[in-house]
Amino acid sequence: MLSWLNQTEILGTIMSDLTADERLKEVSTIRKAMIRPELGAICGAILVFAFFLLVAGDSGMFSPEGIQNWTIVSAQFVIIATGACLLMIAGEFDLSVGSMIGFAGIIVAILSVQWGWPIWVSILVSFALCVGLGAVNGFIVIKTGLPSFIVTLAFLYILRGLTIWLSILTTRKTIIGGVRDLAEGDWLAPVFGGVILKDFFQWLGDVGVLETFSRGSRVGQPVVAGVPMLVVWAIVLIFFGHVLLTRTRFGNWIFASGGDKLAARYVGVPVNRVKVLMFMFTAFCATVFAICQVMEFGSAAADRGILKEFEAIICVVIGGALLTGGYGSVIGAAIGALIFGVVQQGLFFSGAESSLFRVFLGVILLAAVILNTYIRRMITGEK
Amino acid sequence: MKAMFKFLAVTTIIAVIALGTFVAPAMAEGEKFVFIYHSPDSDSWWNVIKNAIKNAEKDMGVTVDVRNPPTGDLADMARIVEQTVASKPDGMIVTIADFDVLSKPIRSAVETGIPVITVNSGTHEQSAKLGAMLHIGQPEYDAGLAGGRRAKTDGITNFVCVNHQIQNAPLTERCRGFADGLGVDLGKSMIDVGGDPAEVKNRVKAYLRAHKDVQAILCLGPSSADPTIAALDEMGLAGEVYVGTFDMSGAIADGIKSGAVKWAIDQQPYLQGYLPVVLLSAYTRYGVQVPHNVNSGPGFITKDNIEKVAKLAGEYR
Amino acid sequence: MTEPIIQMKNIEKHFGSVIALGGVSLDLVPGECHCLLGDNGAGKSTLIKTLSGVYKPSAGEIYFEGHPMNFDFPRDAIKAGIATVYQDLAMIPLMSVSRNFFMGNEPMKKIGPISFFDHRHANEVTMGEMRKFGINLRGPDQAVGTLSGGERQTVAIARAMYFGAKVLILDEPTSALGVRQTSNVLATVDKVRNDGIAVVFITHNVRHALAVGDLFTVLNRGTTLGTAMRGEITPEELQDMMAGGQELATLEGSIGGTV
Repeated sequence: MLSWLNQTEILGTIMSDLTADERLKEVSTIRKAMIRPELGAICGAILVFAFFLLVAGDSGMFSPEGIQNWTIVSAQFVIIATGACLLMIAGEFDLSVGSMIGFAGIIVAILSVQWGWPIWVSILVSFALCVGLGAVNGFIVIKTGLPSFIVTLAFLYILRGLTIWLSILTTRKTIIGGVRDLAEGDWLAPVFGGVILKDFFQWLGDVGVLETFSRGSRVGQPVVAGVPMLVVWAIVLIFFGHVLLTRTRFGNWIFASGGDKLAARYVGVPVNRVKVLMFMFTAFCATVFAICQVMEFGSAAADRGILKEFEAIICVVIGGALLTGGYGSVIGAAIGALIFGVVQQGLFFSGAESSLFRVFLGVILLAAVILNTYIRRMITGEK
Repeated sequence: MKAMFKFLAVTTIIAVIALGTFVAPAMAEGEKFVFIYHSPDSDSWWNVIKNAIKNAEKDMGVTVDVRNPPTGDLADMARIVEQTVASKPDGMIVTIADFDVLSKPIRSAVETGIPVITVNSGTHEQSAKLGAMLHIGQPEYDAGLAGGRRAKTDGITNFVCVNHQIQNAPLTERCRGFADGLGVDLGKSMIDVGGDPAEVKNRVKAYLRAHKDVQAILCLGPSSADPTIAALDEMGLAGEVYVGTFDMSGAIADGIKSGAVKWAIDQQPYLQGYLPVVLLSAYTRYGVQVPHNVNSGPGFITKDNIEKVAKLAGEYR
Repeated sequence: MTEPIIQMKNIEKHFGSVIALGGVSLDLVPGECHCLLGDNGAGKSTLIKTLSGVYKPSAGEIYFEGHPMNFDFPRDAIKAGIATVYQDLAMIPLMSVSRNFFMGNEPMKKIGPISFFDHRHANEVTMGEMRKFGINLRGPDQAVGTLSGGERQTVAIARAMYFGAKVLILDEPTSALGVRQTSNVLATVDKVRNDGIAVVFITHNVRHALAVGDLFTVLNRGTTLGTAMRGEITPEELQDMMAGGQELATLEGSIGGTV
């Protein structure tokens, strides 16, 4: 047992040793730029595009209509993946997203087609209801302390059942059409179902850069009419989600709530508020998805959105997020959604058996998770 | 770490090459058609049509890609139709599962110059509106009506409709047609039994126990008929309750032979798979076109004509 | 002799019929490291949680800077300047040092009507503070998970200091650390104490306590067995007081060595 004076000497030497820790390697800037949560997803995207260029390059996949086809499917996934991503980083899951998609659509259809309310009112009411349901999900998770997996699984069933029952109750059918006519002239409907940059694309068609229809009711119109609002919403949500997560105080709280909610609470982070808000945001995204679909197709159906919540989670995981929370990236989730859409449609273009889609997806998921785990360990020092 | 990357790189390259060769479509000299239907992968009713298509491929020397949305989500089906249009096949065969959802993509196909034949779901008017060449199917409501009228002449006054795909609107049309043929209100006479066979059986049993005065049961396909026949068997009511069904399966054939099932309405799906391929091939090659719709059904299968049908049930009938 | 910043007089805490604290008195003076020793179950954690606002005392008074103290939430205690660093929830390993440092106190900058997290400011400050405490980071984005346990404790202490802690309570900071990391943390405690902060160092390891402590209070089954100053007591005496003497002597006899 050393005396006090010797102790201070030793402590002093240790302090100065710390200024030049031989354990810290010099890290090159390129490596620093590359080792990021989205790296796995970026690699995946490059590989997937290379693969389909190889296998389906001349199948029409990279023609304007082909690009429009998988872009729209990817945009669908981006919308719900953004919500799922932020929620997963906050440490929770929402398995009721798919059911909510069906529910939101049916609500709009019932209110407008059956009860005669204006479309914009129906849309706003649907948003209010669904975001409210998201909040309910959140409160139940917080009050009961049950895993969100379980609570939202229950809502998956409750909402789906309600959707089917409500539509049969009011219309004796499970598909409610006629929304398209009612949406004519409504001010809110085009925000979800419209197409923008029409003139630009028409010009592209006129000058011959873009193919046009040769017969039928749309002679002379370009085969790609414009950018659908679905894609615009996807881009807006990516931007919003990414900035919120990485550049705001609230984003820090999201990471903290998922990383270690007790440590976060201790320094004053309102963990409960963060989680409830993220459940509400996921519900918001699901409703955006649903309304865009209803406006585009002019009808709602009780079976829309089945299994979409799992597909959203797959996109988020391919994008590098950790299932247990506290780590992830919205950009990564968006790239994951892009991969999902390209693979889903690309397999049709390549002429493969459609059942192979699932095999392909499973392989990509596994490879992405393995790669992402290595990258994450490099970044966070996890053992 | 380096080793990990090397391993990943090598595996990826091998995987890409393997899948590439595996996936590259067989180079057929003949035309390429695409057949798109709406049911989820779990619905085995389409096996007959798929077999018919395989026969037609051989007989005509063409390739037919068969596609469907894995979960039965019609929005996904619309994307598949759009994708098909983008890949410019020589012809497209599609079911009109929901007119609102599918009208724009199917019209795009027609307007891009792809010949389209609609089959199975949808009405003749819808098919014409979309600009399809013709429709090959069995109008749902009319088939139900024929069944209902037949039951009425057999003395039936009430029924229950066992619906295994509650979200499929055309199936509901069958129940409605039957109700009208019988002269009753559909009202509460339709039950949602879900798609799982065990569930269907249990729910039918529960309903029959709760409503002892039900005289007739209408099933909408093998997915609702097979479990219903099993349920009646277990309850000792086989032959006591008047059972009519749509479509054909092994269990239904046995039921007709034993008397448990009075009749089956056969929409003869073989024709819905075989004929469109033949007609599209003829059109693409020689420009000939059948100027009207073709009804593939209803054909009633009873004890009188069951023998031949039973042999091929589930495969070609 | 400076005025004590915190005075605890006859603090009692009951949980139902269990008496966790049965009348403890303690003074904390700025610039002094007061070691709180006691075996598991002696009441150290309860005492500390009463001090930091997690519990309200069942009886007794606490004075903070001369005024009676009555905290409803831990957050109030933190705002007043009483910071606690717990052994196992100091940092969130998946997040960067910079984000952890400013957790709950994020610096903001406004662009138009919206406030954003001022990363540049946060990074500068973090790198600077870490250097002061002898930790050289590769970059402010370095994840806390890449730091050793001792370094993580140091970051937590540095955070508490930066945000104006006047009293720093360390709950068993060295109990799970190796030799070198323990020395790091003790060096940090030394620095903090020299900066004029009142430190409460809870441990059941006598050697660690004697390395940095100025005062030593031993708790045993909810009561204090007295406070000794550095130099007034030997390690063996301290150990005896903690374990209640008798049992340890018998144990040492049977093992044939020192515990």
